[in-house]
Amino acid sequence: MTALLEVANLNKHFGGLHAVKNVSLTLARGEVVGILGPNGAGKTTVYNLLTGFIAPDPGARIVFQGTNVVGLAPYRVAALGISRTFQLCRPFVGLSVLENVVVGALGSRAAAGGDLEARARGLLAQVGLGGKEGVPVDVLSYGDQRRLEIARALAARPALLLLDEPFAGLGSSEIADLSALIRRVHADEGLTVVLIEHKLREFMRLVDRVVALDFGEVIAEGLPDEIVRNPAVIEAYIGRDESAGSVVASHAA
Amino acid sequence: MFAKPVDLAGAAVFVALMAALPLAFPSNYLIGVLTVSVLYGIWAVTWDFMSGLTGRENFGHALFIGVGAYTAGFMNTTFGLNGWWSLPASMVVATLFALLIGVPTLRLKGPYFALAMLSGSVIMQRLMLIFWEQTGGEEGLNGLTPLIRSQIGFYYFALAALAAITALLLALSRSHFGLILRAIRGDEATCQAAGINVTFYKIASLAISGAFAGAGGAMYAHYQLQVSPQLFAVVTSITIITMVYVGGMASIYGPVGGAILLVLLTELLRNFGEWRLMIYSCALILILFFLPGGLVAPAWRRLRAALTERRTARTVPASQERSA
Repeated sequence: MTALLEVANLNKHFGGLHAVKNVSLTLARGEVVGILGPNGAGKTTVYNLLTGFIAPDPGARIVFQGTNVVGLAPYRVAALGISRTFQLCRPFVGLSVLENVVVGALGSRAAAGGDLEARARGLLAQVGLGGKEGVPVDVLSYGDQRRLEIARALAARPALLLLDEPFAGLGSSEIADLSALIRRVHADEGLTVVLIEHKLREFMRLVDRVVALDFGEVIAEGLPDEIVRNPAVIEAYIGRDESAGSVVASHAA
Repeated sequence: MFAKPVDLAGAAVFVALMAALPLAFPSNYLIGVLTVSVLYGIWAVTWDFMSGLTGRENFGHALFIGVGAYTAGFMNTTFGLNGWWSLPASMVVATLFALLIGVPTLRLKGPYFALAMLSGSVIMQRLMLIFWEQTGGEEGLNGLTPLIRSQIGFYYFALAALAAITALLLALSRSHFGLILRAIRGDEATCQAAGINVTFYKIASLAISGAFAGAGGAMYAHYQLQVSPQLFAVVTSITIITMVYVGGMASIYGPVGGAILLVLLTELLRNFGEWRLMIYSCALILILFFLPGGLVAPAWRRLRAALTERRTARTVPASQERSA
């Protein structure tokens, strides 16, 4: 299995703060990988580094499908096939729901051509926003905005989808729907998906593999079951306490 | 999606009305006012295409008007070229100025673009005075030849140009290009995440906007038969922005109506003498306060809804009877 994305020696300093420390990652095609970590662990910064929104410190290596993407503008990285969503929903305000998804396809070579509008309608139906095509985005509920973000990201026909806290602020039934959706797009299109998340239960069911970050560093990597029992991860989440391990494990299971 | 019959009919009625006005009330004064209103229409619609769609305000649209007009002035008087050359030449020069300001400033966030346009127009106005030996200083360049001898002939030419530019910009605004410009207004970061080169689209829209505004400047020069540094005046830029707000931002056709409405309003209020500016300003404040979406575009949307509703109302009962 060839690596879809290879990251090595990824560092980022913000002044004196070493926000991302020597992160290395390899994603295989078709994997669903979770990035776990407490607030401020550097998860979103890693996304921003991977997608070109922030330039990494010199020496980093980010190779996506054989292309070195370090130093490329965000739109170029996106055009190569990495789609991302934002932690706080950032829809195109002033555009309709359908138009939001169509714009998602316009910058991508993979999505060029064909009836973009018909495909956008299909994606909206897939994420459960069928019938809301003409609605202005600013009146959408929070959960619907999250679905829209995913439909917009999928419109580009990415090879890699980076979701930044897709479950944040959602109710449990919405979370179940959304993780079913993520499973479906992964199964249907063989899409490689990376998720940043806190919501342990659904998250752990969804992912094949977890990378745990703390203070910008990879502290553990492995199967979901291994990760929730990993002492370093438990310590990062609830501090050093020998008896707490079983609590986290049962919560996550 | 674009040219629905009701929109085409509305546009046709508007152009026919504008064309018929000087025939119904033949006077050189009226033709003059209408010509100026049509040229302002070109400037307002071009401003809206860039700034209305992308949300990046341009406080110096008069820069394009001025460089277009001076290009016409130099070509026509200094080099003695036929006036028709002014139009393509002014478009080229205005595009160069758009790139000169847009390329360095539109890649930045913040107010740099707006300020660069504003100071660009002010600097050009100064330069026209400093290099008075070449530019004629305060008096400018005189003795341009008219494009069309008859006054009404030139008015119809300007009206046709306005209709053509508006149609082109409307078509562009409803294409994927226009959708991207509106998406930029919505959220630039998401545009980048979607693989869109935001800077390129902003610069391209400014170049298109500048080119046609420059052509409007050249037409104005060949209408006044002279150019002066006053063409770069900041007040012109502000007037154009006001026209766009009154017309309805980002609607493209609305600002055309806004421009014509405000030019005619200014003329009607001439009888009020000193009270004119007062009434004009109050009217504007009221419009902006109570109708943040503008006046012209929302009015047309309502009229349009009423017109189409009446037509569907006639067909709906038949289908209801069938289903009942």
